[in-house]
Amino acid sequence: MSLPCWNCGGCAASRFCDACKALQPPAHDFYEFLGMPRQLALDAKELEKRFYALSRQLHPDLFSRKPVREQEYALESSAVLNDAYRTLKDPIARALYVLKREGFDIAEQGTKDVPPELLEEVFDLNMAIEELSEGDESARAQLESARHRFEVMRNEIDDALQGKFAEWDVAHDRGKLDEIRGQLNRRKYITNLIARTDIAHVSD
Amino acid sequence: MAYSDKVLDHYNNPRNVGSLDKSSPSVGTGMVGAPECGDVMKLQIRVNDESGIIEEAKFKTFGCGSAIASSSLATEWLKGKTVDQALEIKNTDIVNELSLPPVKIHCSVLAEDAIKAAIGDYRAKQSKQVPAAHAVV
Repeated sequence: MSLPCWNCGGCAASRFCDACKALQPPAHDFYEFLGMPRQLALDAKELEKRFYALSRQLHPDLFSRKPVREQEYALESSAVLNDAYRTLKDPIARALYVLKREGFDIAEQGTKDVPPELLEEVFDLNMAIEELSEGDESARAQLESARHRFEVMRNEIDDALQGKFAEWDVAHDRGKLDEIRGQLNRRKYITNLIARTDIAHVSD
Repeated sequence: MAYSDKVLDHYNNPRNVGSLDKSSPSVGTGMVGAPECGDVMKLQIRVNDESGIIEEAKFKTFGCGSAIASSSLATEWLKGKTVDQALEIKNTDIVNELSLPPVKIHCSVLAEDAIKAAIGDYRAKQSKQVPAAHAVV
């Protein structure tokens, strides 16, 4: 699908019009904008390479003598570029982005993915935080070890996610995305627990 | 939404807060919760092995006032009951006693689940206990 160029009416199949070379409005999909394959296990080096190349190509200063409309497109493109890079370089943000684009509601159903075996851990964490707030310094060590266990859990989730990313890339199967969503919810929950151990640490 | 006087009473002056020896065969521990909202409830009973009567009940709940009140009330009710009688306690009894509003009914459900979990744990321990005792003899 290619729109006619806003400037000359010619074919504008890519970022710049084939005929008049004018900059076209940016694609709003991050993968499309960067010209990268729709993958969750994204090549980080390639992403960085494209980011720097496009940063040079789209720098608004290069468009200062161009029509106002093209200057605006240059600004817009730079903004999309920065968003795209920031989002896609982080594996978690990248997965959340793809889920959103594929129509998954991230916030919804988060509760069902909380592992029940965490109940005891959450109880102990609450106990330790309460004891510490009451001045029991021995609870500090408990918090430290709780934090360590949560970090191990988070690392396990990250490993599992990496595997699922590569699996999704093969066939773009929605069931796989649902599994990824579940893992991301668990990860968010664990991350919150880690943050709670931090709060207890700092508040003293 | 305002808490009822009974909820406030249990919240400000919770009964039977604490814990029992989890490893004792006479103690049943129930740990339930909705970790996603931070509510975690631990309820323990100590049963007289001969009479089957619950002699002691302790709880510790992290959660809202209604969750604390529900579990506090549950421990009061548990004491002196047999295990079978304890299983009769329904969350609706707790709702009625504490005048819990509809949005807090899940707190009473949590308390009922905790009772069932504690009794389940106690019974599991007991059923393991018997063959072990025979084996020694």
